[in-house]
Amino acid sequence: MQILRQIKYEPAKVVGGYTDRILRVDLSTQEIAIQALPPDFKSKYIGGRGYALKLIWDGTTRGTRYDSPDNILVMASGPLGNEPGFPGTGKFIVGTISPLTDTFIDSNVGGHFAPLLKLAGFDALAVSGISKQDVVILVDGDAGTISIAAASSYGKEIDDGSLSFGQRLLKDVNGGEYSDSVAAVTVGKGARNARFGIVNSLFYDRRRDRIRCKQAGRGGTGTVMRFKGLRAIVARSSLAKANGNNAVDLEGVRQAGAQLKEVVSKADPKQLHLSAWGTTVLSEYMDKFHLFPINNYQYGQSPESSKLFANVFLDRYFSKKIPDGCYYGCNLACAKGAENVELTRGPRAGQKVSIDGPEYETVGAVCCMGIFDPHFVMEYNWYCDEYSLDTISTGVTIAFFMECFQRGFLTADDISYELKFGNMEAADRLLHEIASGEGFGKVAGQGVARGKKWVAQKCAARQGTSEQAVMAELNKFGMEVKGLEFSMYISKESLAQQGGYGFALKGPQHDEAWLIFIDQVHKELPTFEQKASALKWFPLIRTWFNATGLCKLPWIDVRNPEAASTAEPAKNLPTLAYYVKYLNATTGSSKNLQDVLDDSERLYILQKLINLRQGKGTRSSDQIPLRAMGPAYLNEYEFRAEYYDEWLKKQLGDGSIPVSLEERHKLLLEKRMQAYQKLCDIVYEEKGFTSEGIPKRETVSKFGLMDQQAKQLLDKFGV
Amino acid sequence: MPLKIVSIKFLGMQRTVTKTDSIDMPITEKARVTDVLEYVRHRYPELPLDEETVLITVNQEQAYLDTMLKPNDTVSFLPSIGGG
Repeated sequence: MQILRQIKYEPAKVVGGYTDRILRVDLSTQEIAIQALPPDFKSKYIGGRGYALKLIWDGTTRGTRYDSPDNILVMASGPLGNEPGFPGTGKFIVGTISPLTDTFIDSNVGGHFAPLLKLAGFDALAVSGISKQDVVILVDGDAGTISIAAASSYGKEIDDGSLSFGQRLLKDVNGGEYSDSVAAVTVGKGARNARFGIVNSLFYDRRRDRIRCKQAGRGGTGTVMRFKGLRAIVARSSLAKANGNNAVDLEGVRQAGAQLKEVVSKADPKQLHLSAWGTTVLSEYMDKFHLFPINNYQYGQSPESSKLFANVFLDRYFSKKIPDGCYYGCNLACAKGAENVELTRGPRAGQKVSIDGPEYETVGAVCCMGIFDPHFVMEYNWYCDEYSLDTISTGVTIAFFMECFQRGFLTADDISYELKFGNMEAADRLLHEIASGEGFGKVAGQGVARGKKWVAQKCAARQGTSEQAVMAELNKFGMEVKGLEFSMYISKESLAQQGGYGFALKGPQHDEAWLIFIDQVHKELPTFEQKASALKWFPLIRTWFNATGLCKLPWIDVRNPEAASTAEPAKNLPTLAYYVKYLNATTGSSKNLQDVLDDSERLYILQKLINLRQGKGTRSSDQIPLRAMGPAYLNEYEFRAEYYDEWLKKQLGDGSIPVSLEERHKLLLEKRMQAYQKLCDIVYEEKGFTSEGIPKRETVSKFGLMDQQAKQLLDKFGV
Repeated sequence: MPLKIVSIKFLGMQRTVTKTDSIDMPITEKARVTDVLEYVRHRYPELPLDEETVLITVNQEQAYLDTMLKPNDTVSFLPSIGGG
């Protein structure tokens, strides 16, 4: 590779989880700088998402868009990432201004990249500017060099692919061999042509003797990376991985890690058994409770769903008896994969490939298109990864256009073919068109929010109606909020989850709150106040995981048996105690859980301020599509008429409901819309916001965030 | 007199033990969920059903060990799901 710019440096040592250094690269000027952080930076912004938020708040403006040179792409782990003695410490976040939402997005991802970046001397990497040519950034802690190099060309097929390019690159930079001291993040051609491009995190798995990948999937972080002209970032360090954080209290880390590992090893096999099945196990449970997002979230259940249950993938595809953690020491090991899967579709048909996944979300995205073919899931998974496309947004967007076609908002002339639910050929064709920015893929690659506008124009012109009238219909079933497509759960029957999606600052991704089971099944949140309390607590604790470099699954998806005797079992507080102990032992702090929540709330409010600045921070931005609240159309009501009739009877109290189906449907939706607005009022109060969803001055001041920019912003909104 | 039964559904990893999606269990008038749990434990002793963490549902609604059963109810024992 041709080195365009290189600096020498002395890697800072990790002490108590931090290096206190950020690597800053400006691709416009090819300037490479190492920023030493002041002591209070980490205490205020923690790491991971917190670092990204602060850099974006200070370094971008209201006018910054995903493709602006001043947009910053941040990759950051956190003080607790990089410790094999504790499960799930390979996580980092990729944060930036999103092409889909025009505001802050971050997506968390596992692998070896962030631990190696930290060992190479950096808590975070922040890339600004736009390169005139495709480049690769190389952070070599062993050589003590940071380089910007021209991206090598390996031929069109490899160059187009994120996985293919990364696999070749990782050999190239290491004398032709893979090594677990080297990892990379990469993007493929789909990230150039769609707004929902992903960043792949590639690492060498010794047991499988191949490169594996995990994805920062949501919100178009890969699109930002590709627009910066950045094909890949490579991190290298041969430093020992054990005690990678140079913990203040190593014995404390060992104890906390041993406690959590014991719970995981004993409880997971009796519960979801993620270590054997991966997250695909969720498909069956989601189907059972009408949560599987079939045909663009119309129906939650289907007789065909069993074709996509975990046993199918386990029997037919997953390699067995190989621990599958995405970082060392994780005994939950849920990152399933398959080898020698033959592609039957697309430009690589006939080739055998290794596939990492599918995760539940990818399975959900395929049923969202009305497809129940497990091999299609595998191929869809691989092509999305190879192209750098978010399997969720790709699936939800295709499903949206399928419904537009089937409800008559689009014609075959608009698309060039019949895009119907369940049509694998059409879905596959559109996937490749999205990746290459050709045909109808140019439209679909813009996502649902922009797709709605395109359809409204087309349909209104053809039918002689107003665009507003068409848009009102599309808003019923276009499954996006703030510009981000929904993740793969039906929220119709859980008001708390409707809030979990609507209030989520990044848009409707469930990593802020997944309250469906405790609300809809456990019925632990019967009042608005209890829902509001959960809608404050869960986003805060989940934010903390994204700030510290940790995976949430060992906490949230493995219930500690001791939680049963606590007042709120769903919070799994006995396990959280291990995390707080791990934090204190690593960093030398003496925090309790409330301190942790307070730290998170500072980040939450800062993210809210960024949303406010970017035009996505008020009540109107928290409104959700009708289908997220209930059956948007009669056919959905009819699908569960008995259930909905019963629901209405309970609401009306006297047991009498209208005779006509249409009236019952209308009445139900009115009740659902009223409930959501009431929820907004109570949640905003709980969070210290005005009724318009804007943080009150005292809320901002309480967390030390009232800088000049915040003052001006609140002035502007009259708060 | 027709036999009164409840259906017990097995999901996820449970089926790798039971080798079937569901079984029927005859019940008496005063049958409770705890009777079903004992029945399943006796029939499939290797099935892990930890009372501290298992979520019991009857007809998809959360239930408890002392919940009374009616003929044709469907009982499931589910893991906790927190949503990743």
